[in-house]
Amino acid sequence: MEKAHIQHLYRRAGFDILPKELEILSGKDRKSVVAQLFESSKKMVPLTVPTPKIDAYLDSNTQIDRKSKAFKELIRTSRQKHVVFNRAWVNRMATTGQGLRERMTLFWANHFVVRSNNILFSQQFNNTLRTHALGNFKEFVIAVAKEPAMLDYLNNQQNRKGAPNENFARELMELFTLGVGHYTEMDIKEAARAFTGWRHDSRGTFKLTNRIHDDGEKSFLGKTGLWNGEDIVRIILEQPACAHFIAEKIYRHFVNEETNSNHIEELAIVFRKEYQIADVMKYLFMADWFYDPKHMGHKIKSPVDLLVGLMKTVPFTWDKAKELKYIERLLGQVLLEPPNVAGWAEGRSWIDANTLMIRLKLPSVLLNDGEIAFDVKGEFEDSFEAFDQKNNFRRKLAITKNWNRFKANYGALTYDVLVFHILGASVSKETNHFLKTLEKEDQRNFCIQLMSLPEYQLC
Amino acid sequence: MKRRTFIKNSSLASSTLLVPGFLKACDALPLTSEGHKKLVIIQLAGGNDGLNTLVQFRNDIYLKNRPVIAQKKEQLLKVSDELGFHESLKAFTALYDQGHMCVLNSVGYPNPSRSHFRSTDIWQTASGSDQYLRTGWVGRYLEEVVKNPLGAIEVDDTLSLLMKGETINGIATKDPRLFYKTTRDPYFSNVLRTNTDIHLSEHNLGYLYKTALEAKSSAAYIYEKTKVYDSKAVYPKNAFGKQLRTISEMVNSGLETQIYYASLGGFDTHANQLNAQKRLLKIYSEGMRAFVDDLKGTGAFKDTLVLTFSEFGRRLKQNTANGTDHGAANMVFLIGEDLKHKGMYNTPSNLASLDANGDIEYEIDFRDVYASLLKEWLGTEPSKVLDGSFKTLGLV
Repeated sequence: MEKAHIQHLYRRAGFDILPKELEILSGKDRKSVVAQLFESSKKMVPLTVPTPKIDAYLDSNTQIDRKSKAFKELIRTSRQKHVVFNRAWVNRMATTGQGLRERMTLFWANHFVVRSNNILFSQQFNNTLRTHALGNFKEFVIAVAKEPAMLDYLNNQQNRKGAPNENFARELMELFTLGVGHYTEMDIKEAARAFTGWRHDSRGTFKLTNRIHDDGEKSFLGKTGLWNGEDIVRIILEQPACAHFIAEKIYRHFVNEETNSNHIEELAIVFRKEYQIADVMKYLFMADWFYDPKHMGHKIKSPVDLLVGLMKTVPFTWDKAKELKYIERLLGQVLLEPPNVAGWAEGRSWIDANTLMIRLKLPSVLLNDGEIAFDVKGEFEDSFEAFDQKNNFRRKLAITKNWNRFKANYGALTYDVLVFHILGASVSKETNHFLKTLEKEDQRNFCIQLMSLPEYQLC
Repeated sequence: MKRRTFIKNSSLASSTLLVPGFLKACDALPLTSEGHKKLVIIQLAGGNDGLNTLVQFRNDIYLKNRPVIAQKKEQLLKVSDELGFHESLKAFTALYDQGHMCVLNSVGYPNPSRSHFRSTDIWQTASGSDQYLRTGWVGRYLEEVVKNPLGAIEVDDTLSLLMKGETINGIATKDPRLFYKTTRDPYFSNVLRTNTDIHLSEHNLGYLYKTALEAKSSAAYIYEKTKVYDSKAVYPKNAFGKQLRTISEMVNSGLETQIYYASLGGFDTHANQLNAQKRLLKIYSEGMRAFVDDLKGTGAFKDTLVLTFSEFGRRLKQNTANGTDHGAANMVFLIGEDLKHKGMYNTPSNLASLDANGDIEYEIDFRDVYASLLKEWLGTEPSKVLDGSFKTLGLV
C-alpha cells in the first residue's frame, strides 16, 4: 500500500498514524493492513472515571430524595464528573492502540445520541457504544434501547400502556434506523405501544415493567402480531431501507459528504446480510473507491478530530479538564453534550466565521503558549469559579506538553516529509510556495505553523 | 516569516486596532430604500406549548384534556372573556395592551412533521413538509437581495440553516469584540494573501479560505461600527437578555444588517412542563419588554419588527409525565410599532377540530407570514426568496 493510502485509511478509520508506524506498514498489501487494523481493535477496554462520592451514596441505600441537599450535591458532582469523563475520552482517542474501535465509538455516539445528567448512565452508555461498535447492529439497537441514558433522554421511562409516549419510537425510526419517509405516523404509535414498560430502576438497571406494558396486538410496517420491543427492532431491520440508511450514514462520515448511490448500495447489500458492522466496514476499507484521490484530504475534521490530531502529534495533556470543555464549546462540539437527538451535522456545518478563526488559532494557543479569549458571564454555566474574574478576557491554558515525544517521533524527518505527515499528500502549489517563505528553524515551530494553515482542517 | 514574529503574532494580545483597508469593500453594502427596516427573528426552540401560552380558559375541551397542567383562570392575564396569557407573560402582555403585538393563531403547514429537526428545517428553509431545501430563507434573501453576508446576523455561537445560502452565509457572533480580535492575526493575513486562487474552488479547502476571508472583513466591519455604541438599557441577566442587548447595540449603532436571529431553547416539555414553561416564558417576556423599551428610547422601534415562532406547538392532551408531546400548528407573535392588525389576527385554535393525531390544524401557512414580511416590510418580491407563490396577509 502507498503511504498516502495508509495515511488516508488511518485518518478516517482511526486517529491518524505516527511516522514510525506508517513506515512499518508501507509496502504491505491492503488486505493485511486492513486485517491488522481490525485485529488491533479486537479488545474492548471500558472507559471509566472514579466516582467515589456517588458510589458511596448508592451503597448507603439512602432513599433518594430529589429535594435533599445531599441529592443536589450529587447532581453537582455528576456534572463535574462529566467534564472529567470528557477529558478521559479525548485522551483515550489520542493515545489508544485501538483506533478503529474508538473511531467507531465516536461515530456511533453521533448516531445513537443521548445526553444525561447522570455520570454513571453517561459512562455506561459510552461503554455500550464501545462494546457494540464493531458488533451486530440488531443487538446494538436493542442494547441502546435498554440503556438508562436513552430511556431517560427520549422519555421511554414515561411510556406506559394506555398513555404512550412516542418520543423514542419516533427517533428510533427517524434517526437510528430507517430515516424519514419509510414509516407512517401509525407505525410510530404502534411501535410506541410495543416499548411501553421498558424502564430502568433508580440504579439504572433495565426492567420490563409488565404492569404498564401493552402486550396487545400491533400492526407495524405491515405486520400484525403481539409485538414487543425486540420484535419492532427485528421488523425494522427486515426493511431494506434500514441497511441503506446506515450505509449512507457510514459513507457520508467515512468517505464523502457528497454521496455516490452505487457505492452506498454496495455497502447496504453487504450490511443487510447479517447486519455485522465489522463486515461492512471491512468492505468499505477494502474498496478501491475508498482510496479515490477526490476523497483524500477532502473531509473537514470535526472539532474532536482536530483536538485529538493535535494531541497525537505533540503529546500534551489538559491540566484542567474544564478548559478542554471550553475549547470544545468554542469549536462547536462538546462531547457528551450533543445539540439535540440528531447529533452534530458534521462537514461544512462545523465551519463558520467564528469556529474557523478559533481552529486556526488553536495550535499556537495550545502549543505556543498563546492566549485565547473566552466570552465571559452568561456564556458558560459554571465558568465563573474556574476563571479569574478580573482577568478572564485573555488567558493561557494549562497544558503540559511532551516535546520530547514529538522530537522522538518527528525530530529526524526532513521538512518535506513533515509536511506530508501533518498536512497529507496533496498540498496546493500556492501553499507550497507559502511554506517556502516560512523560516525553518526546527521541526517543532515549523510544525505549529503547518497546523495553523486552513489545510490542516482537512483529512 | 521569522519565527519570533510568528510567536509574537500568534498571541491575541499583540493584535493592534487598525482600521483595515478591506473595510472599503463593506461600504458597498447596497442600501435599498427599504434597507433601514430591521427584522428580528426569535425561535422558541423545542416547541413552545402555545395552548398554555395563550389560554382558552373557558374551553371545556382544553380543561378536560389537561387535568393537571391546565392554567388556572385566576392566574392568567386576561385579554378577553375567554383568553388570557400565561402568568409569566406580564411584561409581554403590556406590549399587547399597547397595541404593539399581533398574534397569529394556528400557523403551520400541511402534513406537519413532529420532529424538531425536520420541522425546524421546514420553518428555516420555508419548504413544504415533502420538500428538502439546503438553504434557509434568510440565506436566500442574502443571496438574492442583499448580496452580502453582513445582511443577516445570528446572535449565537453557531450558524443555523436559516442563515445559510448556496454561496453566501450570514454571520454568527455573540460578541463583536471577541470576533474581531480573533480575526486579526498577521500570520493568517499572510496565509490568506498567498492563496488568492484557492478560495474560488469548489473543494472544501476553497470553502475554508472563502470563509476565512469573509470572516475577516465582516468582523472588522461589525466591530468598528458597534464599538461606539453601548446600550444603557437594563436587560434581564440571562443569555437571552444578553442576545437581545447585542441585537439592540447592532441596530442602534447603524449597522446595515437587516435581519437578526436569536433562539431561546428548552421548550421541549415532555415531562413536568409547568415549572419549565413558567421559567422560560418569563425569560422571553422580560427580555422582549426590555428590548422594545430600549428601541423605543432610541427611536429605532418604528423600523424594527420582531417575529417569534416555534417549530411546532404541542399536543392538546397532556401525557402521563405531566408534559405534552410534539404537536403541529402553533401561534406566531409579531411585535412592532405600527402593525396593521393589532391584537388577534384570527380566532384562537379550534380545539374541537383536531387532526388525526389530536393536534391543532393549521389555518395560516407560515410561508404566507414570510411572504408578508418580505413584501410588506422588507420590500422584496417574495418569489425571489420563497419557492412557490404565497399570500400576503396585510400585516404591516
